[in-house]
This record gives sequence, structure tokens and C-alpha cells, in this order.
Amino acid sequence: MSSVFENNSLQIKNLTIMRQQTPLLSLNETIKGGDVLTIMGPSGSGKSTLLNWLTGMLPKEFQADGQLYLNDANITKVASYQRNIGLLFQDALLFSHLSVAGNIAFAMPKGDSKTRAIKISQALSDVGLAGLENRQPESLSGGQQARVALLRVLLSQPKAILLDEPFSKLDSQLRQETRQLVFEQIRQHQLPVIMVTHDESDAIAANGKVLHLKTPQQDI
Amino acid sequence: MSHKLTSNSLNNRPLKDETKLLDTLFSTVVKFSPKLLIAILILPVLGGLLGVLLPAFGWLPALDRTQFGLQGFQQLVQTPGIAQMIGLSFFSSIVSGLLAFVITLLLLANYFDSPWLARIQRLLGPILVIPHAAAAIAIAFLITPSGMIARLLSPWLTGWQSPTDWLLPHDPYGISIILGLTLKELPFLLLMTLGAIAQPELNIKLQAQYRVALSLGYYPITAFFKAVLPNIYPLMRLPMLAILAYASASVEMPLILGPNTPPTLAVAIMNWFHDVDLSLRIKASSGAILQLFITLSVLFTWWLLEKLTQAISSKSLSNGQRTYGDLFWSKIINIFTLLLIGFIALALIGMVFWSFAGYWQFPLALPEQWVIMHWQSALLQVQTPILNSLSIGLVATSIALILTLLTLEFEKQNGAQLSRFSSVIIYLPLMIPSIAFLFGLVWLQEAVHSKATFINVALAHLLFVLPYVFLSLATSYRLLDSRYAQVAASLGASPIKIFLQLSLPQLLMPIMMASALGLAISFSQYLPTLLVGGGRLNTVTTEAVSLANGASRRTSAVYALIQMLLPAIAFSLIWLISMRKKRQKAQVKLNNKTASYITKVNR
Ligand SMILES: Nc1ncnc2c1ncn2[C@@H]1O[C@H](COP(=O)(O)OP(=O)(O)OP(=O)(O)O)[C@@H](O)[C@H]1O
Ligand SMILES: [Mg+2]
Repeated sequence: MSSVFENNSLQIKNLTIMRQQTPLLSLNETIKGGDVLTIMGPSGSGKSTLLNWLTGMLPKEFQADGQLYLNDANITKVASYQRNIGLLFQDALLFSHLSVAGNIAFAMPKGDSKTRAIKISQALSDVGLAGLENRQPESLSGGQQARVALLRVLLSQPKAILLDEPFSKLDSQLRQETRQLVFEQIRQHQLPVIMVTHDESDAIAANGKVLHLKTPQQDI
Repeated sequence: MSHKLTSNSLNNRPLKDETKLLDTLFSTVVKFSPKLLIAILILPVLGGLLGVLLPAFGWLPALDRTQFGLQGFQQLVQTPGIAQMIGLSFFSSIVSGLLAFVITLLLLANYFDSPWLARIQRLLGPILVIPHAAAAIAIAFLITPSGMIARLLSPWLTGWQSPTDWLLPHDPYGISIILGLTLKELPFLLLMTLGAIAQPELNIKLQAQYRVALSLGYYPITAFFKAVLPNIYPLMRLPMLAILAYASASVEMPLILGPNTPPTLAVAIMNWFHDVDLSLRIKASSGAILQLFITLSVLFTWWLLEKLTQAISSKSLSNGQRTYGDLFWSKIINIFTLLLIGFIALALIGMVFWSFAGYWQFPLALPEQWVIMHWQSALLQVQTPILNSLSIGLVATSIALILTLLTLEFEKQNGAQLSRFSSVIIYLPLMIPSIAFLFGLVWLQEAVHSKATFINVALAHLLFVLPYVFLSLATSYRLLDSRYAQVAASLGASPIKIFLQLSLPQLLMPIMMASALGLAISFSQYLPTLLVGGGRLNTVTTEAVSLANGASRRTSAVYALIQMLLPAIAFSLIWLISMRKKRQKAQVKLNNKTASYITKVNR
């Protein structure tokens, strides 16, 4: 786990997202590998919409203007499945038709099945889930599911990671542990991260730049 | 129960005797309606099966046969071409089911996240209510040597100056049957699946998991197959089995599109039953039992295929492969979808052309002469069949509606859904091949000397109308907010008053939809009308089928179009009413807005 990309970066250039001609948000940011940009703001301020744009899944109700660079490659027009941007939501969204190992294997690149299995076991024990390979996702606790979801994203070898309120469904003890684990792993991989959260303590733990989105003007 | 308590405790005025009587009557009716509903579905089916089972083993008192034996089955085995009949029934249903399934998956996979899925749904939706017979006629006209396809390709591609004898329709391999069944089953399966995955919670989960797969680098089609399909297949299984059961024993499609020598088993059974030689009835009954086994083995084969696919594909689900030529397949599916829609459109257009065609020489794509003569003469003859179709449909649908509403009211009052057993029974007439029990039913009706043809036919239609009406109403009724009823009860309203003045008006649109669906189902029934009516009661559908294989193509086209128009009119009426209601609502909203604006300004 020592793959270090020195020049990893995610760059948002002159972004404006509009909904029905009214601007929702404007942004101009560069996130370096290992850094976390925290986005906060009231409900409806466009946080999830921003993440949707970053993943190339902006609903057609919105129009966006601006450029997105990943490691100096312009990916503004690249399809979502070719962006190499990992996603982590508040729900683990594990596939219920696959086992824990299957969920992680789903995300890994193709390869020899033995090597893959060894990597999965290693990764599971790294996050304290040793031996849970063949369990069904539903039989795991919320915290365990969150960790499997994290592994799933990390082992897909993304070049950047987006977190949408990833810890909001965990209780405070678990929240702290999981958060620590996530940030630790992400720093190890030197990935640029954008995190959306409502929680100050998340922002403090992220130890990076914090951006506050404002509620857009409403037409009455 | 709780309704009454609250109403009495709140209002101490004595209830009038009259209303009391009405209340008791209503609660009794409500209490018995689920049992009646089940009885209406289960008795004819079981009785009909018994009425086939006994003659199948040689017991037919009408022919002085009261000895049990296996002659029926012996005769059956010795029938020339029996193996071909069985093979035709078996393979045409499995292959058409498989094709409909695969096409549904390809459409879902390619358009899962696109506005085109809803558009395709809207395009294919109306085909759902086109009767099988009319669809078969349209397809037959399209693929026949002098049909639209041959005309469009001739002479520039084929070089044909006159219709060449080719295989279709009536080909001995059942390709035409498969084509017809697939096209008719596809919209059903697609719409059932889309309906199932539209449930809000499931839909959100599926969309999110699909996006996770995309973000992990999966190409869209592969993402659908690996991340979404395993979660929705369980919801497709029941409609899939219903399709297979129907296809394995259907009569209209093979009758219009299939070969004659030999036909499918179901068609052969029907011919034997109708033979002047009454002793063939024993063989026919044995055939009906055989048909049951074929249907069962089709369902079993599907189950096997399912397990096999699961076993083969389970490893590759998580093998990490992100694409299997997705971009290529996506293009292929786009082209295929266009062809599919074109094929359907051409079939319908062709039929309209034929119905107005005067002189129309072969390779020409348009009639040289347009006449309304065929419509005029058909309209003169079709009046009685239309009246019959309408009256049978109205009777069957009304009974189905009343029974369904009362049963759902029973559920609501008792706060519990029907038992598992009852829910299965509701599907019974859809799962058991009708050819296997309708003859027994006729025989039973003969045995009790029931001569009321009209009522008999209407009741037979009810067997097929009731399941659809129930299924289409159940969801809305169960979703009805019970708090309104509780408020009304606390204000002293009796259950019957709540039912009539609160629940029913709230359910107006679903009730109308269910009625239109019930009518459409009844209009399309061929076998029950023919058999139970004993050929004495002609509907548009029985006329269309009997004209399809003999009479002029032009007359046949008119009948098939009338067959399509009847349900279309029913659904258009509903649509018009719903538009009016929407406009009224919008008007009310607008008024409210204006009012609030005025109050604001005045302040
Ligand atoms: N598909 C859509 N079509 C139209 N409008 C949308 C769509 N999705 C979101 N919106 C609107 O866009 C605005 C921003 O929504 P978004 O989901 O980005 O907010 P958010 O900041 O993530 O809020 P929350 O903190 O509640 O998650 C809201 O006004 C929302 O109603
Ligand atoms: Mg959000």
C-alpha cells in the first residue's frame, strides 16, 4: 500500500452550476493529493449537486459551466465510468447479492483470483474485519458496512475520492473511529478528497480547507 | 370495530333502525366477499380440472363410458405428429419467453439511466391491451409473402415481381408463433418490471447502486447486469412464469400464425373437442392433462435455466471485468430498438392500409385505391358482436370491481392483507392453462343443464378479468390513507358511508383504470367465449379469429382494428376524464394562488 502519486490533484476551474437560469453555486478550487476539501452549507445549497457534477452524473435539470482536471487531464466531458473518481455515501450501498469479499472484488481490477482473494483478506484484516469474507452485507453492523464500503472504494484504485456525509449514520464513538480510518487510508494513498458534511467535528478532523456554501436566492 | 365505538361514544343520538339494518347488511357483505371472491376463482378452475380429469381416464357418462381406463392416452400417443405438437408447444413458449426476457433486459440495460426508457415504455404500453388475436393478425399480414415487409423490400432488393412463397407465416418450426408471442409478451414483462422497480425505496437503492458501479468504472450495460439485475430478477420471476404458462397453452397465436400439420398441442386439443366425433372428447381430455404437464415442464425448464445461469455467472459477477464490448452492444441495441418499433409500427400501418385498400398490386407499398367499403360492410355485420363484447365485458368487469372493492374494504377494516393462500388463488386462472380447465367447465355446465349462455360466458370471462382488476386496484386501495376514514368515523360516519362517500371517490381514477383494464381483458378473450358459449355467442374477438384464416384480408384487417379500437376507446375515455380532473385541480391551485396573492397585496 505504498503507491504514492506525488502530483495527484483535483482541480475545479471556474465552475458555475445553474438551475433554471438561477446560479446555484460557483467554485474555483484545487485539491492536492492527501488533502481534504470540506464543503459545508445548509440543506439545498447544492452540495450533492456539486458532487454529481464531479462524477459526471449531473441531472439534466441543471446546467454547468467550468472545467474539471484530474491529475492535469481535463475530464469535464469524460463519462462517469471512465473518471476514476470514487464515491462514498452515508449509506454503504453494498450489493446485497454479493458477499463481503464479492463486494470488494467487484471494485478491484481484473486479475488472478487467488491474488485478489489474498488482497481482500489483507485489506479486511487491516480495518479489523478479518475473516468476514463470506458474510452477507446485511448481516454486518453499520460500522462494519461503512468499512467494507471504504475498502471497496480504495481497492478500486481511484484517483480521487468524494465523500457525501459519509459518517452521518454512525453513532459518535463509531463515527470517530471510522473517520480516523478513512482519513488515514486516504492520506496513505495520497488521494485528493472532497467531503460534504453537516458536522463541525468532521470538518475539524479533516484538517483541511473548509468551504461554506450559501443558500441560493429563491424566487418567490 | 373501533369505528363503531367512537361513533357511539361521541354521538349519543340513537341510530335509526334503517341505517342500522344497512350497516349490518354492509358488514355482512364485506365479511363474505373475500370468501366469495376465492370461491368464484377456485370452484370453476378445480371443477373444470375435474371435468377434464374424469374423461381423460375414460369416464364420460354422456357417451355411456363409465369404465376407467387409459384408452384416451393410448389414442393420444398414437396420434400422428404428436411429438411434433408437443415440441412445437414446448419450444415456441420457451424460446418466445426467453426472447422477451432477453430483449427486456437489453432495453433496461441500455436505457436504465436515460429518458428513453420512459419513452419506450409509453410506446410499448398500448400493445399491452391489444388482444392476442388482433396482434397475431397484424403480424401475419406483415410477414406474409405479400405483406408489408415483402412489399417494402421488393423489387429493388429481392427482385420479386409477385409474392414468392416463403416460409412465413404458418411455418412448421413455429417461428411465426415465436415472433407473435415475443412481441406480445415483451411489453407485459417490461411494464411489470418497470412497475416493480418504481417502488420508491427500491428505486432509490437501485439507482444509487448503479451509480456506485459506474463510479467504480463499470460501463453502463455491464453495470446493469452485474449490479442491478441480480436485485430485480426476483421481481421479474412471477410475470415471467405467467408469460411462459400462457404461451405454452395459448390458442389464438398458434391458430393464426402457426402451422396446421400438425398444429400446437393446445390447438389440436381444441380441434378434437370440437370434432363431430364425440368419442374424440376422451382423447382431447387426455390431451388437456398432457398440456398441463407440458406447461409444468416449461415452468420447470425455466427454473432449471435460472439455476444454471446463476451457477455459471456467479463467479463473473465479481471478477472485476468492467466491460464486455458495451459500446458495441449499445449501438446494436439502439439499432434493434429502432427496428422493433419500426416493425410494430409497420404491422399497425399495414393493417390500416389493408382495411382501406381497394386495388393493391404486389410490390407497391401503398394501395392504389382507397375505399371504405370494407368498413361499411363490416360495420353492418359487426353490430351484434360488438354489443355482445360490450355486454359481456361490462357484466364481468362490474362483478369483478364490486368483489374486489368489497374484499379490499374487508382487508382495510380488519387491518390485514389476504392470506398467502388467497393471493396465490388470485393468480390461479393466469397460471393454469385455460384449455386444461375450460372444457371441464363446459362439461360441468352441460351436466347441470345450465343453458344460460350469456351468464355462463360472462362468468367464464370473470375468471380472467378478476385477477387483473384485483391486482390493479389492490395497490391503490392499500395505500389509501386510513386517517381520513378514522376522522370520518370519529365524526360519526358509518362504515358504509365511509366506503361510499370517502373511499370510493378518493379511488375514482384507479377504479376507472381497473375498469378499462377489465374491459380490455374481457374483449380479448377467445377460448372462454368460444367454448363456454358453444359458438352461439359471437364477440368481435371470436369473429376476428374465425375470419383470420379464411376470409378476405381486408375484412380481417377491419375486424382486427375494431378489436384494437374497443379497448383503446375505453382507455381514451379514462385519459380524458383524468385530464379534466387535472385541469380542475390546476384551476383550484391557480385560484388559491391568486387568492393568496390578493391577500398579500391587500396586506
Ligand atoms: N434532480 C433534480 N432536479 C431538480 N432540482 C434538484 C434535483 N436535485 C436537487 N435539486 C435541487 O437543487 C438544490 C440543491 O440540492 P442538493 O441535493 O445539491 O442540496 P444539498 O446541499 O446536498 O442538500 P442536503 O444537505 O439536504 O443534502 C435543491 O434546491 C434541490 O431541491
Ligand atoms: Mg445532499
